[in-house]
Amino acid sequence: MVGAFYNPHLGRELAAVTGIDHLAMADPPAASDPWWPAIRGRYTLLLHDYLGQLSEPLDERSIRRARTLAELYRSPWVAEHFQCLHTEDGSYNLNYVFPPLYTEEFLDRFVRNACALQARLDQPLVMENIPGFFDVKASQMPEPTWLHRFFDATGAGFLLDLPHVWLEAHYRDMAPERWLAEFPLEHVVELHVAGVEDDADLGGPWIAPAEPTDEMLGFAGHAVSRCPRAKAVTFDAFSPSLTAEVLLRSVERIRGAL
Amino acid sequence: MTRVPSDRALQDDVIRALADAPYRASADWRRRGLADPDRLERYAHFLARHFYYERIVHFFKYSRALTRVTGRAPEAVLKSPAFDALLPTLVLGSRETAMSVAQLVTAHVAAGGAPVPYLADLLRYEEAMMVVEAGPRAWRDGTPTEGAGSRERYAPEKVEGTVLLDLAYDLPTVLPKLLQPWTELPQAPERRTKLLVARSPHGRVAVAKSDEGVVAVIELADGKRTLEELAAGTGLQVVELRQTLQGLVDLGAVRFSTGS
Repeated sequence: MVGAFYNPHLGRELAAVTGIDHLAMADPPAASDPWWPAIRGRYTLLLHDYLGQLSEPLDERSIRRARTLAELYRSPWVAEHFQCLHTEDGSYNLNYVFPPLYTEEFLDRFVRNACALQARLDQPLVMENIPGFFDVKASQMPEPTWLHRFFDATGAGFLLDLPHVWLEAHYRDMAPERWLAEFPLEHVVELHVAGVEDDADLGGPWIAPAEPTDEMLGFAGHAVSRCPRAKAVTFDAFSPSLTAEVLLRSVERIRGAL
Repeated sequence: MTRVPSDRALQDDVIRALADAPYRASADWRRRGLADPDRLERYAHFLARHFYYERIVHFFKYSRALTRVTGRAPEAVLKSPAFDALLPTLVLGSRETAMSVAQLVTAHVAAGGAPVPYLADLLRYEEAMMVVEAGPRAWRDGTPTEGAGSRERYAPEKVEGTVLLDLAYDLPTVLPKLLQPWTELPQAPERRTKLLVARSPHGRVAVAKSDEGVVAVIELADGKRTLEELAAGTGLQVVELRQTLQGLVDLGAVRFSTGS
């Protein structure tokens, strides 16, 4: 399957077009969204909302919300991220995906809490990798090793975000294919492909709601050929500034690259 | 003996360094040497712009809808030298920072001098929404926020950050129209309107029209006055007061203080 994210401001176009197999849902549909019934009736929908950070156990309210959304979407799997973006006491919140320390303690926390969440879901859980712009010296192992151990321990699926891998390789001055080879590709169920653009604060590329470059598409083709269990590739762009043209052309180009 | 912090505590420290610019500049953080300072600073600036872009787009959506009249997109302030000047002081999510950023936005939009009669009210309303949303939040359920047993034993208390707005225009009648397609500027009736803006512990911001009774309850609910004292002070019957308080608790404007 090749698909995209549901961007509600593009509901009219998405309800009518062909060539998109699935839509990932980053937010629940608004009650006022006139296109939602057509979207739900027409597409395979993938739950990709923020459910909570698995460094802590999800509370009952979050689990109920995950179950309700998965049922509403008839989602074949439920996605979450390897992220830890707010402090335990709620005082500080980055409001943006941010990876945990790659340590034994965090591995134990994520394995325990992911297993507890899986036990409460009727669908498989898939987990998405998150890019680091800098290394934290308290980490005890490389990210790919940590991910291997997580997936071996939980049996969860891997949502491989390729631009995240590409960016990490870029900032490590490595070939992306070489960095990718370290990841547990045998667990990949879904892949994300997206564009990157230069960011003035970072002084280099970062994820953007833009078309993937030819280089990124080539990387996607390379990655998919190494992920034997992959079932879906999603154009990962969710932004009010995204246009229908960019979304549709990106999906078409991703399909062509695979 | 020095206690070794847990990895979770270390992660919290990194999150705080990214969110809290004064802490990031402190000797306490710097001597830990946990991350490359240049990379961390760059990423913190990126996060700050992202954090407030999301909030400005959400809370100033009516001003955004008026951009073709005002000529001033609210989010443009994020690329201004004035925002850059705030960077060394920003604490993401704090009420003080929300206030500083919201004031940059209101000054920027108002400076266009657009002929929108209710623009000043609208900007006050949007600023209040953004500021009320700020502050620590409960990310998980499970920690009781009120004492067990009957709430009657506890004194109602206005939740910190709750705001009462006294406006010259009836904004709620025009707000939905601004988000629909329009060619002629939608007008708001010139009618004094009081709005209560509050936030739930989970961060949901709610607005409700307010009357004299609600205003009196909010002004007097100090966590010390009992229901009876509050009824006497506001002139409401106890039954009516209970209903009003329930509505205010649901909104997040009032909680029952345990006195502890």
